[in-house]
Amino acid sequence: MQAAVKIGILYSTTGPYGSLGREAQLGAEFALHDYRLNGGRKAELVFFNPHADLAAYLEGARSLMRDSGCRHIVGTITSAARKEVIPLVEKHDGLLWYMCPYEGFEANENVIYIGACPNQHLIPLFEHLIPRHGPRPYLVGANYVWGWEMNRLARELIVNAGGTILGERYLPLEETAVERIVADIAEKRPSFILNNLIGPSSYAFLAAIAELGKRDPAFLPENCPVASCDLTECELTDIVGGAVGQLSALSYFDGLETSENIAFKSRLKAWRPDIGKVSTIFASSYTAVALCIAAIEASGSEDPVTVRQEVVSRSWPSVLGDLVVDPTTNHAALPFYLGRINAEQGFDLIASEAAIPADPYLITSRQKPTRHLRVVQS
Amino acid sequence: MNGTPNFAGWHVTLLAEDDTNTERLTRQLVVLGMRVNRQWKPIPVNDLPDLVVVDVDRGWDELIPWSGDKPLRPVVAVLGSEAPGRIAWAMRQGAGAIVQKPVTASAVFPALVLAVSIHEERLATARRIEHLEERLKLRPVVFTAIERLKAERKVDDEGAYAILRNCAMRRRLPVEQIAAFFLVGSETLSEVG
Repeated sequence: MQAAVKIGILYSTTGPYGSLGREAQLGAEFALHDYRLNGGRKAELVFFNPHADLAAYLEGARSLMRDSGCRHIVGTITSAARKEVIPLVEKHDGLLWYMCPYEGFEANENVIYIGACPNQHLIPLFEHLIPRHGPRPYLVGANYVWGWEMNRLARELIVNAGGTILGERYLPLEETAVERIVADIAEKRPSFILNNLIGPSSYAFLAAIAELGKRDPAFLPENCPVASCDLTECELTDIVGGAVGQLSALSYFDGLETSENIAFKSRLKAWRPDIGKVSTIFASSYTAVALCIAAIEASGSEDPVTVRQEVVSRSWPSVLGDLVVDPTTNHAALPFYLGRINAEQGFDLIASEAAIPADPYLITSRQKPTRHLRVVQS
Repeated sequence: MNGTPNFAGWHVTLLAEDDTNTERLTRQLVVLGMRVNRQWKPIPVNDLPDLVVVDVDRGWDELIPWSGDKPLRPVVAVLGSEAPGRIAWAMRQGAGAIVQKPVTASAVFPALVLAVSIHEERLATARRIEHLEERLKLRPVVFTAIERLKAERKVDDEGAYAILRNCAMRRRLPVEQIAAFFLVGSETLSEVG
């Protein structure tokens, strides 16, 4: 390896989920900074901003792979963008490093998944919520695959638990008119709310629920919490009036008191003292880039097949804990942390589980179904 | 299929020669928790897997031990060709879904779900048709019973049918069955009217 290895960074740092993209990009930059600080000279990052335009993701991936010579791309926030990029990554025999929580039902050989799938976020979240609040949730979601699939699975989990879904509503990505949904929730009186909205819709919804809680104590977080699987520290300042007391299930929190995290945050402080709380987006993007570089260096090659074999061959120390990537699914085992939003715009840890191996197709959590289940009505 | 489809523990026979498409298919089937048996010879009829995935570009008739109208197991076709003859062959084997060559990881799970659902639907439809045909065959028996009831009890068509139907509902049996019992004398319909 004479010339520097180029790693493509594909995040939309502008557009409706731009704050997540900027956070992710910053995490990637910090990973490179950390690498260089330790004397690393062989890797560099090439950035492309698709401005949240799906077609531009394809263009970006093509430009990174074909023009810049990247074999590895870290990026995409939404599943829609990931799905857009994968065929091209497959075609060019590249490796995509995806680091956001997602809805599962994917295990591509050309993707390394550092983000959690439902058996690592939604299922443990429900195991926590159902006994404490009752199986009568209201489901809200963004009107695309993340919202649909998370709510579909939620419905299945609730039905299996003998509960009832009191309502299920969707909003387009940038829609902030949440009044009708909130009015419906006020009327239906669920036992908790699962929030799969993203970006500004989610912030508007959380703000409106806080207002509802002021009018009706039944909707205070201690009585009827709003739980998300993707709400992070970097978004909390965008919620007007805050969302203190609400819950989020993630694989990393700023406040984790692990030795890895304490060291990570002290290095970060030295690099950029202005950065406030670290989100799971930042930490996961950092981890993806750092792992990519480490595996390229360890294997002595940037060939994606070789790098993938190196990644799955052992455990890697990381800010998310010792990271093991499953050789069958290419997914990382990830810890489960349930956090409650505090007044300092961070999370207080209220429940956790050690690293859970990913089960993207949910094959281990249930029995083999009997074939030909359908009963004929005559 | 209701709920999240789960193929864990299913036994799949992959009828294909060993190549990169087969490798990719196998990897994905294993990810889904299935036991994969790749072979390029006929499946014995006394040892059927739960599901069959077959290379339709090169498949021949004896590979699969059934013909299209009565597929015994769900079938997924792996297809590169556009030749109508090959598509027809896939349909004759009972294929319910196609995985396009070159195989991509994301094509496999949807194809399995589709093929299994179509197979289940076909079985249900076949059972329903069989049931209806049976009832249809017995229509003359109902007609004869109605004629006899009309003559014996001085009722009209509707009255005679009501007698049969009321008895069928009480005994939770099809009207056709009650009519047959009545005609052979094992059901007197005496408690009626």
